[in-house]
Amino acid sequence: MKILQNSDVPIYKQIASQFKEDIMSGKISEGEYLPSIRGLARDLKISVITTMKAYEQLSEEGLISPVQGKGYMVNAQDREMVKEQHLRLLEQHLQNAMDSAKLAGVSREELLKMINVLYDTN
Amino acid sequence: MDSVISAKGFTKKYSKFTLDVPELDIPKGFATALIGANGAGKTTLIDALCGIIHATSGEVTYFNKYKDIDSTELREKIGYCASSGFFPQAWKAKDIAISMELAYDSFDRKKFEELCGQLEVDTEHTKKARAMYKQSDGNRMRTALAAVFARETELMVLDEPGSSLDPLMRDRLCDRMREYLDDGEGEKSIIFSTHNIADMENAADYAVFMDAGKIIEQGFVEDLKEKYVIARGESAGYDEVKGLLLSHNCNRTVFDGLALSENQEKLSEMGAACERPTLQQLSIGLLKYAEEIR
Repeated sequence: MKILQNSDVPIYKQIASQFKEDIMSGKISEGEYLPSIRGLARDLKISVITTMKAYEQLSEEGLISPVQGKGYMVNAQDREMVKEQHLRLLEQHLQNAMDSAKLAGVSREELLKMINVLYDTN
Repeated sequence: MDSVISAKGFTKKYSKFTLDVPELDIPKGFATALIGANGAGKTTLIDALCGIIHATSGEVTYFNKYKDIDSTELREKIGYCASSGFFPQAWKAKDIAISMELAYDSFDRKKFEELCGQLEVDTEHTKKARAMYKQSDGNRMRTALAAVFARETELMVLDEPGSSLDPLMRDRLCDRMREYLDDGEGEKSIIFSTHNIADMENAADYAVFMDAGKIIEQGFVEDLKEKYVIARGESAGYDEVKGLLLSHNCNRTVFDGLALSENQEKLSEMGAACERPTLQQLSIGLLKYAEEIR
């Protein structure tokens, strides 16, 4: 896990999104437990309340559930539904890109070219 | 959430200073930072809670169970470390080990030796070990911290543990504190005071801000960071936003100040830029605000 201390993104969000990625990609599978809140705080050199907040967010999103006395367990994921959500988000971002392109006078071809360039540089 | 210490109507009166804490709940399983300027009452609060000095009035409950700070059972559970002069100045590491062993059942002499090694100070087996008075403030504090962490406790109360330490040692202290919380699995808690929170920002879960003997704000750090924002802008726009700011700082070119997040939209409309505060910025803003309204 990589945590940037001086990022604009709050640390708890960085933790949550990295676990989310791991859960979505199947790197952490259903029924597994996440590291303990205080153990993770110790390893990442951050406060306990920060990791706790990250876990609470994941829990609210239904990705993990607290188990009394054992920590947080990864839930069964409905991958199709999650994919659907991501597609919707993608459409929305593309729409934004098209709107900006229009304002800046960037043509359809140029926009597609830009996406290709970005793909290559990433 | 469970409290490790909860106090009601807690006061300590001196001729020129009064500590007045109507209500205080310190959460169990976390590190709580007492933040305040010099003379804000942090040490008075710590010492009164630990029974080092007697409170004038009030009732305190420890671990949801104990009421009497002088009970031996309770004393065994609390590890207290003063900001200086904890041990007689002529003592060496060995004298400290002997006295701690006599005073506390759970003091682990081997662990003390280990911790002294980790914190790079004389152990009881060091040849030509130096007396406390021959050592620097930082070394004295490290020895005192090793002694208190060598006990089996459920609550650590550390008065300005980081102030006399160099940055590397302070980092090691923060690690030790997190280890302590991790080992306790939610049952162990820490209270520490500081007037320089920047270096210990990532060791604090709950913050209690003090000014002139009173608690001016308290809460979980993550919640407080969402409750407040830092607003900035050019001084030309200062008059318009002044009323929404809690703390005020304006020069010829720019202004900044602490404000409530609920006013963020209004502030943005007035042209101020808002950012989430660090604990350090939050501390400065709140202490300044307290000073302004005092």
